[in-house]
Amino acid sequence: MARMKFLCDAERCIECNACVTACKNEHEVPWGINRRRVVTIDDGIPGEKSISVACMHCTDAPCQAVCPVDCFYTTDDGVVLHDKDICIGCGYCFYACPFGAPQYPQEGAFGARGKMDKCTFCAGGPESDNSQAELDKYGRNRLAEGKLPLCAEMCSTKALLAGDGDIVADLFRNRVVRRGGRPDTWGWNTAYKD
Amino acid sequence: MKLIKRDPAAIKTQASGLNRRTFLKGSGIAAGGAAFMSLLPTAMINKADAAQRRQHSYDEGEITKKRSVCTHCSVGCGVVAEVQNGVWIGQEPSFDHPFNLGSHCAKGASVREHGHGDKRLKYPMKKVAGEWQRISWDQAIDEIGDQMLAIRESAGPDSVYWLGSAKFNNEQAYLFRKFAAFWGSNNVDHQARICHSTTVAGVANTWGFGAMTNSYNDIHNSKCIFIIGANPAEAHPVSLQHILRGKERGAKVIVVDPRFSRTAAHADQFIRIRPGADIPFVWGMIWHMFQNGWEDEQFINQRVYGMDEIRAEVAKWTPDEVERVAGIKEADVFQAAKTMYEHKPGTVVWCMGITQHTVGNSNTRALCILQLVLGNMGVSGGGTNIFRGHDNVQGATDFGVVSNSLPGYYGLSQDAWEHWARVWDVDYNWIASQFDQTSYEELNGSPVSPMFTNGITVSRWIDGVLEDPENITQKDILRAMVLWGHAPNSQTRGPEMKAAMEKLDLLVIVDPFPTVSAVMNDRQDNVYLLPAATQFETYGSLTSSNRSVQWREQVIAPLFESLPDHNIIYRFAQKFGFADELCKHIAVNDGEPLIEDITREYNRGMWACGYTGQTPERLKLQLANLHTFNTTTLKAEGGPCDGEFYGLPWPCWGTAEMKHPGTHILYDTSIPVAEGGSPFRARFGVERDGQNLLAEGSWTAGSEIEDGYPEFTSDMLKELGWWNDLTAEEKAEAEGKNWKTDLSGGIQRVAIKHGCAPYGNAKARAIVWQFPDPVPIHREPLYTPRRDLVAEYPTYEDRRNFYRLPTRYSSIQAQDFSEEFPLIMTSGRLVEYEGGGEETRSNPWLAELQQDMFIEINPADANNARIRHGRQVWVEGPEGGAVKVMAFVTPRVERGVVFMPFHFGGHYQGEDLKDKYPEGTAPYVRGESCNVVFTYGYDSVTAMQETKVSLCRVRPA
Amino acid sequence: MKKIISIVFATFILSACYEDTRVTLHEPGVYKGKRDTQTMPAEEREALLKLRFNEVQTDR
Repeated sequence: MARMKFLCDAERCIECNACVTACKNEHEVPWGINRRRVVTIDDGIPGEKSISVACMHCTDAPCQAVCPVDCFYTTDDGVVLHDKDICIGCGYCFYACPFGAPQYPQEGAFGARGKMDKCTFCAGGPESDNSQAELDKYGRNRLAEGKLPLCAEMCSTKALLAGDGDIVADLFRNRVVRRGGRPDTWGWNTAYKD
Repeated sequence: MKLIKRDPAAIKTQASGLNRRTFLKGSGIAAGGAAFMSLLPTAMINKADAAQRRQHSYDEGEITKKRSVCTHCSVGCGVVAEVQNGVWIGQEPSFDHPFNLGSHCAKGASVREHGHGDKRLKYPMKKVAGEWQRISWDQAIDEIGDQMLAIRESAGPDSVYWLGSAKFNNEQAYLFRKFAAFWGSNNVDHQARICHSTTVAGVANTWGFGAMTNSYNDIHNSKCIFIIGANPAEAHPVSLQHILRGKERGAKVIVVDPRFSRTAAHADQFIRIRPGADIPFVWGMIWHMFQNGWEDEQFINQRVYGMDEIRAEVAKWTPDEVERVAGIKEADVFQAAKTMYEHKPGTVVWCMGITQHTVGNSNTRALCILQLVLGNMGVSGGGTNIFRGHDNVQGATDFGVVSNSLPGYYGLSQDAWEHWARVWDVDYNWIASQFDQTSYEELNGSPVSPMFTNGITVSRWIDGVLEDPENITQKDILRAMVLWGHAPNSQTRGPEMKAAMEKLDLLVIVDPFPTVSAVMNDRQDNVYLLPAATQFETYGSLTSSNRSVQWREQVIAPLFESLPDHNIIYRFAQKFGFADELCKHIAVNDGEPLIEDITREYNRGMWACGYTGQTPERLKLQLANLHTFNTTTLKAEGGPCDGEFYGLPWPCWGTAEMKHPGTHILYDTSIPVAEGGSPFRARFGVERDGQNLLAEGSWTAGSEIEDGYPEFTSDMLKELGWWNDLTAEEKAEAEGKNWKTDLSGGIQRVAIKHGCAPYGNAKARAIVWQFPDPVPIHREPLYTPRRDLVAEYPTYEDRRNFYRLPTRYSSIQAQDFSEEFPLIMTSGRLVEYEGGGEETRSNPWLAELQQDMFIEINPADANNARIRHGRQVWVEGPEGGAVKVMAFVTPRVERGVVFMPFHFGGHYQGEDLKDKYPEGTAPYVRGESCNVVFTYGYDSVTAMQETKVSLCRVRPA
Repeated sequence: MKKIISIVFATFILSACYEDTRVTLHEPGVYKGKRDTQTMPAEEREALLKLRFNEVQTDR
């Protein structure tokens, strides 16, 4: 079974923010809410690297573990979603998330009464696919239309990849081989010394 | 996908009441009352219009896909728009598109906002006693037209300035230039003047055409990518896809810039340069090449003229001198030179960091010479990949929206006017009679009509207003200014521009947004705002940076009361009484000149740069078959466009019937001209000082003349015995003409049939003897901090008449400002915004990402000036301009250099001008324009403004 | 016999070296929200998305 994953190739990411505005465009995310953002480290000095970060759709999702009302679920293809109807907007998932993905809108289509909002991997939520209710609460459901998240599909340099983890890995491996080096993803330096 | 029917009652109200206009009205109301100060109102706006949009998108109505092209930068990314019931409801990636493969940057990924943005200028407006009043189109055209005709009567046609736009499509650009000609003035210009005019002049005078020689896609084949004075990661983000693909295939990336830019973050070698020291650095590199024998002898001997004089100049730029002047160590220069020599073919990329200098034209030529030394021209993976700025700045330049040429680079000579009069099918004498009949300039001792003299440039229009009339080489000062799709905050000397705007009799702004022009001045009366439609609200062709001509489909109908630019041009022509002449061979439907007819008309006249084969039919066929084009070679493989290059990149020779595939890589002699090959152009004569200017021992594949040859004329065809290859009709037309003026295309056809390029086969020239500096030489900027270098490397002498205006150089450089203003000030782009930024700062998806105008300053300079990160500071310039901006303390800039982006506007010297915008049109994000502080300084050939080096001081606010 | 005992003993001792690889302290509860009905069977969706991926995310 497919397991949906994002991978941001730090060698290619140029911090152009296309992923951020593509997400805004597709889901009409209100001002102040960023389901996705680009993080840059060592800004302005050699070694500067950027990566685009959103919900990573963890297999063993901490948000899911800590949620006091158990509003999280994982779809068959590994996308972590939540039911806004029972979410109480407590912010505990914000504490648990290693990536700062959960957002808490004050107002607007996504955030009535301060419910949590986050990246849905463009997979909507627990409403009928592409129904009005799903659109209002969660945004568009591209997966149901056979499309992948728009942030990755529109990435200016194809740095951000989204899809089944296995084929994402295949593609990325090919790139690494072509470059003739070790993977230079952002996490690599965290895991290994030079 | 399953469509869920919603509450039938809701659908009913939809179907009965909600069309596109009410949809927009609805969102307008939601936004109109909301003061944009906190997060709350935007969220509400979004809720309101999103709710309405969604009902559309999932209830009823067929969803159609429209193909357009992004209207921001020159990469030309394909856009796929989903439209339902006339509303732009979705944007999908354009995977089939050979330029972007579906990708976008932040700007491209947010263009759908155009379809419902409520910050637009909604209807014609007029400022009366300090208040904006809504007026009708008829009233606007009438009142403006009457005033212009009165000015024409009293001060002559040259007192009205027609400032056009790189946002026009090709058809509109062409019509606009024709319109200005019929009005009777060369005071017409557009953004190219202040972005790549020095490139166009420098590069065209080196080898023939002033354009990008290869393409973004071709960078895949580069082995070395040398980027100088450009930050494509922010200015042309999708180009990085191609650059990084080249890098992944083994290319070395060298970035030369005063800042450690986001592009530099991806470089193998980053070289920090002192702003304005480009020529010393390039000569320094070539010095190492000559020293080590790394030049391509054979290429130079066969295809380059004047290299010996370059050798003499380069010899002066020893490593020590380069380090002294440019601040770059020998090892770094040597390394860059060696990398370029060892990794061939290499490409050179440049942008505003090279062009926007008083020595801009010399800078561009020095880089051309670098590529000639290495023999990197005319090869895949090589070339000078000059990234243009706006989406159609290449096209608007080609169509002559400039004060020094008619469409197609024909210039302003009598021959040029006669050629176009024939194409337009109007009487030459009638056009001449539209111009001022007095002469103000002399050429070779005899007076010349203003018809043949360069008009005032956009960079200097303010001087056209403010200068003493005695000093202007035309009848009177400028009295009416039309800013048509042009941001004033992209031009230097803000305070003087404000004064100029206030001095004008009449100020007309034609734009989808009110722009900074509407608010930066204190005029109380006689300002008109005319709402123009964006390119998503009309259709037509545009030319991307790589000379590819693409066709856009119309996505939505013009919003509110806006009109497409060509409709507005036509309305003015009607008012001035020459609409029938303007559209003599162009059908006009309901006030709209037919785009396809305009394309066909320029196809009949644009022989000189090969815009004759790109008919609407061929362009539309390519649009329908995007997926058949190879993404590296840009060549269609199979399908109905088999063998054509994408966008039929000009020159696309001859008539469409010739089926020329376009020219992907300029000056590539390895393929026949008929398949897109070409030699360097024979543009500068055949001989100089006894030396042969034509190519020697080099020709394009399949050429029947196996040596250099001059440009083709009817006489030359006869001499060669090829005259009888022409048909009888072609002969009748071609007699006495040349390849540029033969409207039958016969001369081009026959030349190409024999494997020859219509424009001849010559050498590129390393020295441009008509220019102030035939050999590019270093000259210190007007506002230089290096007073020690001024005596050795002085600027030019002041000039009395340059594009009709006196122009200062040495008199400014003579003053020392470096004590009081110790920091070098430079400017550039941000990825989220484009140009003057009015449109992008009005887009909430983009505006949210960059909410503050800022200045980048090195930690050391910040500490010395007691400046803290994130605090407000005053930036003051030597000409009196000052801006209040946020300090961004970063080592991205080195000590002594500060950087500001130029996209902001709407604040003026500390004051927010929000209340001066017509209600509801103020952009979400406003800020100071850095060009309020930027100073005097113009290129010696094109009057390009100097925005990359000036001086300033910074203090806490 | 002694041998067997020693093996059992050794196994017992070594098993003490076994480290539990599960790091989760708190297991997620049972999802209490609405069921997410999907119109497309999971296999079909997977195949479709794989096709899409290879079309759109590769460099072509």
